[in-house]
Amino acid sequence: MSTVTLMLLRAVMVMRDGPADAGRPVTNEDPDAVSMTVAYRHDVHKLRGRTHAGAASEFRGIPVNQDVPLYADADAALLSRPRGEPEQTVPAHDSPRRLPLLDGEVTALEAVVGDIGDAIFDLVRIDDPAALHRAWLDASVPALFSESRYYPFTSAKYHTLLVAALLDNYRAVSPFGDVYLSVSTHAGEADPRIVPHRTVLTTASFALHVTADPVGPAARIGSRPTQCFGDVWARLPAVPFDVDARRCWRVLDGQLRRLRSWSTALQYIEAFCNTVGHDDAAATSTRWWA
Amino acid sequence: MTETETVPGVEAEAESETEAAPASGRRIQQLLFALERPYMGNPYYVSGNALHAAVARRVGEATRRALHVSHGVFVPGEYGSPTEGEISLRGGQKLGGMLPDVEAYEDLFVHRDPAQRWLTESRPREAANTHPLQRYGHDGRVAFASEMQVGRPAEKRAASRRVPWYVQCYVHADDPAVLPVATDALTGIRVGGARNFGFGELSVVDTQVVDVDALAYGALEAADAHELELVSPFVLETEFPGAADQSVPWWWAPGKRAATGELRRRTERLVAGEDVFDLETVDHGQVVPYAGADPVATAKNGVLRVGTHSRFGFGELRVRPARGSRVPAWRERRAGGGG
Repeated sequence: MSTVTLMLLRAVMVMRDGPADAGRPVTNEDPDAVSMTVAYRHDVHKLRGRTHAGAASEFRGIPVNQDVPLYADADAALLSRPRGEPEQTVPAHDSPRRLPLLDGEVTALEAVVGDIGDAIFDLVRIDDPAALHRAWLDASVPALFSESRYYPFTSAKYHTLLVAALLDNYRAVSPFGDVYLSVSTHAGEADPRIVPHRTVLTTASFALHVTADPVGPAARIGSRPTQCFGDVWARLPAVPFDVDARRCWRVLDGQLRRLRSWSTALQYIEAFCNTVGHDDAAATSTRWWA
Repeated sequence: MTETETVPGVEAEAESETEAAPASGRRIQQLLFALERPYMGNPYYVSGNALHAAVARRVGEATRRALHVSHGVFVPGEYGSPTEGEISLRGGQKLGGMLPDVEAYEDLFVHRDPAQRWLTESRPREAANTHPLQRYGHDGRVAFASEMQVGRPAEKRAASRRVPWYVQCYVHADDPAVLPVATDALTGIRVGGARNFGFGELSVVDTQVVDVDALAYGALEAADAHELELVSPFVLETEFPGAADQSVPWWWAPGKRAATGELRRRTERLVAGEDVFDLETVDHGQVVPYAGADPVATAKNGVLRVGTHSRFGFGELRVRPARGSRVPAWRERRAGGGG
């Protein structure tokens, strides 16, 4: 590791050490040596219904459940869940399966995939980090699980994508305070712009990124990680859909201003866009969201 | 800002944030309504215009002319404890279903933030604060249900819990004699779409009068820099007959704003009888640096709202100490947060 890199990294860590994080040690990890694949494989135990303590270090020969460096996992968790000892928030729900907010229906796993293990294996065995990122963006299986059975409305899928985005920013020596939520749209094209590891959500017409290098409308996330999605969303200079044109987008916009948990909010956008769709003709024909 | 004209039905508030406040007597009356039936109107809030129109049928001519109505903010009836100010709750009270005592300026906004950050973390906060959506009618129009069921999986039916929804707003008057408005008359008003079919029915559950000038403004006085949060949209251009367009107030620090991007704009619609007027607004929820000299006076004016259409809830501002964190690092869980 070069001396300059090390000094930069130390500077980052010092800046991130607010009073609340006084116990956080200065890290000696070399950001260049951190592999992005760790981020996508670190929570496989959640998809398999295991606790962190009971997690195996390998899944069908793939190393999984390793610690994510640079505090990316801990910081991403704080974006979606309270700090401190977890509490059971839905007493009747003691399961790793995610509770959906949009329609309240819990999808049976069997209806989605034949073999849950095969589906997870397909998702984590990819070696190319950029391809791994794409696979997670498009994945549906991790969205069936919550980050924690204590907070069943959170999403393991979007927690993982947030971990990867933070890790990639931290590797580039961007402290949390320099990270933005940014939006991009590509009208008329199948895929909006996708930035490897930093794109945390894609729909048919827009993408959201967590990045220190925003292009287009962006709002700073804050000085330190905490549950504040609605605040950041409300401060965006532009939202990626036309709230003036259709009431359904105003409904979505209004809901997003109410949500504080990041993974819950990103999962809500995915579910909402899948339900409502982006095809104006179809939407008009049903008039569900007129 | 001198181009603002007073027009019938639309109030032109003084634009100068340094305008001297009256010695006392600026009172607001907070109202908390229970949402009795599903609501099919504006998803962001019940507009002050809709509330004004609904209330106007129930009150006398003098009150109708004098009344200024804020936007109605949706609140889940759930347990929690405030994160700011000095409000103390009796244990076990559902903060969403009551109006807490207001002693400091910050207390005015406990319910007026869509994130409702007082909600306790020991309950599924995101589920409680997300509008439950329902589809109605042959065309499947989307409405907000009047209550949320938490724990809805079919096999858990016995363990489900209901969270009722409320709407919080406040009124003030040119003529202080008309306050407080008798709330018995307001129960049963209906707002939003399909209200002639019973949708959007509200009933008053709590009300209290607050003297805006008598509140504690210590947090603002102690800070050396401030920022403004737009609690409701600020009207820039209007189709409303006779009402003049406005520009962004100079004390919103336009120079500093460039660093964080342009202000987001949004079109609102003002319904007056058969007519619908488009309003170009600066959208609510945004935060701008404050460049004025008297944050406390601006704070008081912001409660009573600024700009054209302030009578109907537009232009509500909140002043905050700059760089103040909106989310406490690790708040002690207080009594009253459990349940």
